[in-house]
Amino acid sequence: MTWPSDIQEVIDEFAEIEDAMERLEILMDFSDEVDELPSDEWTEQNLVKGCQSRAHVVIEQRDGTIWMRAASDAKMVQGLMGILSIAVNGATVEEVLELTPDFVIEMGVLNTLTPSRSNGFRTMFDMIQKAVMEMR
Amino acid sequence: MSIRNDFPILARKVNGQSLVYLDNAATTQKPQVVITAMSHFYQNSNANVHRGVHTLAGEATEAYEACRSELKKWFNAERVIITSGTTESINLVAHAWARANLVAGDAVILTEMEHHSDIVPWQLLAQDIGIELRFISLNDDLTLDMDAFEASLDGAKLVACVHTSNVLGIRNPVEQIIKISHENGVKVLLDSAQAVPHEKIDFTALGADFLACSAHKMCGPTGIGCLLVKEDSFSQMQPFMGGGDMIQTVTTNGSTFQENEHKFEAGTPRIAEGVGWAAALKWLGKIDLQSEHLRLIRIARWTANQLKSISGMTVFGRHDDGDSAVVSFIHDSIHSEDMARLLDARGIAIRTGHHCAQPLMKILGVEGTMRVSFYLYNNQEEAELFIETIRGIVERFS
Repeated sequence: MTWPSDIQEVIDEFAEIEDAMERLEILMDFSDEVDELPSDEWTEQNLVKGCQSRAHVVIEQRDGTIWMRAASDAKMVQGLMGILSIAVNGATVEEVLELTPDFVIEMGVLNTLTPSRSNGFRTMFDMIQKAVMEMR
Repeated sequence: MSIRNDFPILARKVNGQSLVYLDNAATTQKPQVVITAMSHFYQNSNANVHRGVHTLAGEATEAYEACRSELKKWFNAERVIITSGTTESINLVAHAWARANLVAGDAVILTEMEHHSDIVPWQLLAQDIGIELRFISLNDDLTLDMDAFEASLDGAKLVACVHTSNVLGIRNPVEQIIKISHENGVKVLLDSAQAVPHEKIDFTALGADFLACSAHKMCGPTGIGCLLVKEDSFSQMQPFMGGGDMIQTVTTNGSTFQENEHKFEAGTPRIAEGVGWAAALKWLGKIDLQSEHLRLIRIARWTANQLKSISGMTVFGRHDDGDSAVVSFIHDSIHSEDMARLLDARGIAIRTGHHCAQPLMKILGVEGTMRVSFYLYNNQEEAELFIETIRGIVERFS
């Protein structure tokens, strides 16, 4: 599988780390990449449903490119949002729609992408693509 | 050591570390004898049960019905309806007994510490036939308010109550609940999913009218459980799920039904799972559950006390000798999901979330908790490793 170069860079960064806890620590560090959505903008509409933690995502189009703002009370979810921001921010509609969520498996930070109560990442990813699809 | 050796899964590594499985209130691991019994059945005797006249059908029927016999012996119960688990067992009481015997305005008493599987079936029935639901509140120490319970019984027909809380580990005073309920002419259904792994229940001596439990919480397979029913309540139950195996005759004009438990077991049952459960019961029968339980609750109490000594940690529950070995807790700055993933990185499996008990979460003032739960193969060394790891995580990440 080939990924956009900025995502490949993140995958490579994770690949160098053998210790699972250290990988999670790096994941949490990616939370700094998120353009944070202030809590007064958290609504039922931008809530990521099915996530154990509270998570909100807003997708916007600026000058023909896609940008996301997001927030979560769990640091790892916010880290995943950070990685998604790297993938999405500044990309075109087509580029976002071409993405698949498997890169987080390749990073070794999630065991599964099965949509379930315990895995809001997939829901978050689908939510972003749905929003972008509507901007087409 | 010998108990641990019976569980092949305990030899595996998770993220390069030895597995420390502390999620037993969700499901327990299976001893080799259970795995072997199920494989042996599929390899040698697989066939559908009841009615078949060939050799395999006879062997399958005998092996499956042996599960019912084992359950009757284990629980000292006359009527054992085999279901898919505790949830189906409770739904069965709602559909087969309550729907046939309750009318609009009759009350069903629940508690604020119920699992969703003992709330939602009653809410659905209330929508259908207009029964009233009353929830018994908890005291400040999270035990059941028994005064409120007694006061709620007027006009009640059924108390449906969790035997041991899956979140707090607190064992409710079920003997007292049954006595008071019966004095008031009210039947009692116990959700004993979390109690059966920790205590050997004599259903006849206990005196409850219904008792629901699952195999997988007591080293048996998933997908199978049972409903124990007292004879007089059994005779009041009407079939609700129709199909094969539960009938005597079927004509285009109507059907007649089996007289025994099969009346409530429509369709092909979980045959291999029954074989596995019977093997689990025989395995458990060799263990002194009472002394093992005391060992486990001591480990849980030690764990709870250690957690309380960690800055930012809140621990729920009291961990008395009769309670199950469950510890629920939260940390004020590390999200439960993050903590669980960090522990998993060290091979330690714990559960997070609302544990299907959202009304209780509301009382605790949280959206969810972390929960560790110990079972027969766990030991003090694992509890110590868990505490050492969580101390390290708190130090590093809070």
